[in-house]
Amino acid sequence: MSEIESTQTQTHQSTASQPSQTTNGESDEQLREAWTDHAFDGDTKLAVDGLDVHYGDDHALKDVSMEIPERSVTALIGPSGCGKSTFLRCLNRMNDRIPSARVDGSVRLDGSELYQEGVDLVELRKRVGMVFQSPNPFPKSIRDNISYGPRKHGDIDTGLIARMIGRSDERQERQLVEQSLRQAALWDEVRDRLDDNALGLSGGQQQRLCIARALATDPEVLLMDEPASALDPIATSKIEELIHELSREYTVVIVTHNMQQAERISDQTAVFLTGGKLVEYGDTEQIFDDPRSQRVDDYISGKFG
Amino acid sequence: MATFGVGSRLGYVDTNPDRSAGLVAAVAAGIPWAVICGGAASELLGFGTVLAIVAGLLTGCLVSAATAFSREDIGSTVPLGALSIVTGLVFLTSVLGPEWVWSLGWEQPASLTAEFVIPIGTLLNAMFAGWAASKAYGGFGARGRHVGAYVLVYLNALSIVAFLFVLVAFTVVRGVPGLLNGAEFGLGVGPATTIELAGFGFTFVWPFSVPFVMNGVALLNDFQGVLPAIVGTIWLVVGAVLFAVPLGIGAAIFLTEYAEQGPFTQAVEIATNGLWSTPSIVFGLFGFAFLIPRFGNSKSLLAGMLTLGFMLLPLVLITSREAMISVPDEYRDASAALGVSKWQTIRSVVLPAALPGVVTGVILGVGRIAGETAPILLTMAGGTFVPGSQTADVIGGFGFVASPPFVTNPELLQATSALPYQLFALITAGVGLGDNVANPDEFRWATALVLLVVVLSFYAVGIATRYYFRRKLSYE
Repeated sequence: MSEIESTQTQTHQSTASQPSQTTNGESDEQLREAWTDHAFDGDTKLAVDGLDVHYGDDHALKDVSMEIPERSVTALIGPSGCGKSTFLRCLNRMNDRIPSARVDGSVRLDGSELYQEGVDLVELRKRVGMVFQSPNPFPKSIRDNISYGPRKHGDIDTGLIARMIGRSDERQERQLVEQSLRQAALWDEVRDRLDDNALGLSGGQQQRLCIARALATDPEVLLMDEPASALDPIATSKIEELIHELSREYTVVIVTHNMQQAERISDQTAVFLTGGKLVEYGDTEQIFDDPRSQRVDDYISGKFG
Repeated sequence: MATFGVGSRLGYVDTNPDRSAGLVAAVAAGIPWAVICGGAASELLGFGTVLAIVAGLLTGCLVSAATAFSREDIGSTVPLGALSIVTGLVFLTSVLGPEWVWSLGWEQPASLTAEFVIPIGTLLNAMFAGWAASKAYGGFGARGRHVGAYVLVYLNALSIVAFLFVLVAFTVVRGVPGLLNGAEFGLGVGPATTIELAGFGFTFVWPFSVPFVMNGVALLNDFQGVLPAIVGTIWLVVGAVLFAVPLGIGAAIFLTEYAEQGPFTQAVEIATNGLWSTPSIVFGLFGFAFLIPRFGNSKSLLAGMLTLGFMLLPLVLITSREAMISVPDEYRDASAALGVSKWQTIRSVVLPAALPGVVTGVILGVGRIAGETAPILLTMAGGTFVPGSQTADVIGGFGFVASPPFVTNPELLQATSALPYQLFALITAGVGLGDNVANPDEFRWATALVLLVVVLSFYAVGIATRYYFRRKLSYE
């Protein structure tokens, strides 16, 4: 644990390669430390330090440390089973929902630790929204899908009692639905059928609806787990444009299998390789044009993975 | 058909047969032949039992072998075709005439009459012939077998509809005369109903009068009826559902969403399944020995409701649980990722998605409990005939008192009747019907018809509910 404590005190400005205190001076580990140290302008939104995840006996994620800047797109790439999604799910503690998962290490959101006693998961997940690999709208109307989060949080109330005492928030709800759908570039396609069941939308529309639904709770960070993997090229390009737009206001972390996609949309890229290790992290251009690790180079050029 | 097979073998008809008709066809052709030859040997040739059985088996094996070892076009048509011919001849030539009775010669008098044998034989023959004919139609081979199997499966499905239709039609035809006994239609013939509205009483008169469902039984009635039993059945089902559904759904939520899967949940599951298979008379005894002493030591509507509720509980639990398990985890993940708490997720996502399944369970359960006789007999039913004055007025029976339990309802604590029990009592009572009921047989069938209608009405309500919830979930 000494390493975690020591690295927690580092600032994100550290640039030089630092010999690790616990890795017995192995050159690989030292190099990895250097490769994953990424300097960026702007503020840190999420700081991950010494993150280890076990599923039962399976060590899925090994000692991952990285810092994610605010209002940018961070892509996580790597072969299947390398721990990208696991890492993503640690950022809003969705791994808590898997009984066999054990998470050690530290994740800080705006400087406050997520993995400690007394963290309000409801509050956390309001701030850190998530979009899943396959579109998963609720079997409700489009409107109800969008307003589901705010309603359950008590931000808007259109229930029977609220209507009876004249305190119904229907106007706010309408505004919120329109605003979220516009942000997700879906408004023009569904404005006339907000009361239709969301399952009647196409796959790409459903995924944008899921993004709109996540935006409706006004999050600060948006986590996306391969949001375009189940979609056709046209829907994919719409989602990519959307992600680009969103990065002006939100911090977006996206897992993707598609390296061209990562190259197109992200500001910085983190490469995970088999074994649950973060191998290289830096500006997207630098990662794709001039990777420092031979393995990353092989992976990106398609020789491995 | 047999000619077709032979024609195919001799090359006159273009088909695509396999080398053999296969084991299934061989067995299927062998069994009826064994039965027929066994029967013929014992009845016509006067062989003893053992010899007849041996002769039957021998013929069966011979036919099987002939079916299996000849080419498919012969094997699957000739034995079954010949079977049809022989059976037809036997029936037509009155070898088995309408008077024919085969006494089995056992200690208990048991016999097969022509009334039973001829229709069954005809049906079976038709099935065999249809099977073989459809095989021939498909030109034998893989396609022929496919057509044959399709015809058999289709006949199965059809027979279910046919059984239901025959059952309902039989009950309706027998029950309608009793039901309409003394019924009148036309303006002003029915009973008057008064509705109090804002101090004014509006009275209107029903345009029909059906004494059988509007009367109880009384000495001076022109026409007797079963109104108390109808009302009793309806309240019974309503009470049992109100008791069992919330409990069952609650338990299902706990078991699927909260409890960790392990020995405890498995034990609950096994216990639930066991409870569902428990015979209803055991539930009745339980109600009789456990509930009745606690409700003033007399049979009562409430005791009946609770007993049937206990019976309904396991099925509601099982089906609700299945329905909740089949709700995709993605919904739960999506809801959790939006920062919605577990209970709210269950309430607004899991339960609505599971509701059609839950309703299906309730429908099945209601179908079972609405027709239960034994528990009602032990926990709730009064006399064989219930006067109209004993019709349970549950809603009007509620009263409020100052001391605990604050709400009283003497109607719930009174013995009443229900249709299945009424029917049972009518059938077993035998004597004593004459004075009150003009035609006991008509009365019974009419009761059965009303019971059927009441149960099917519950069924219809359930289906409509399920349809409503499904519509809400789907996009079509």
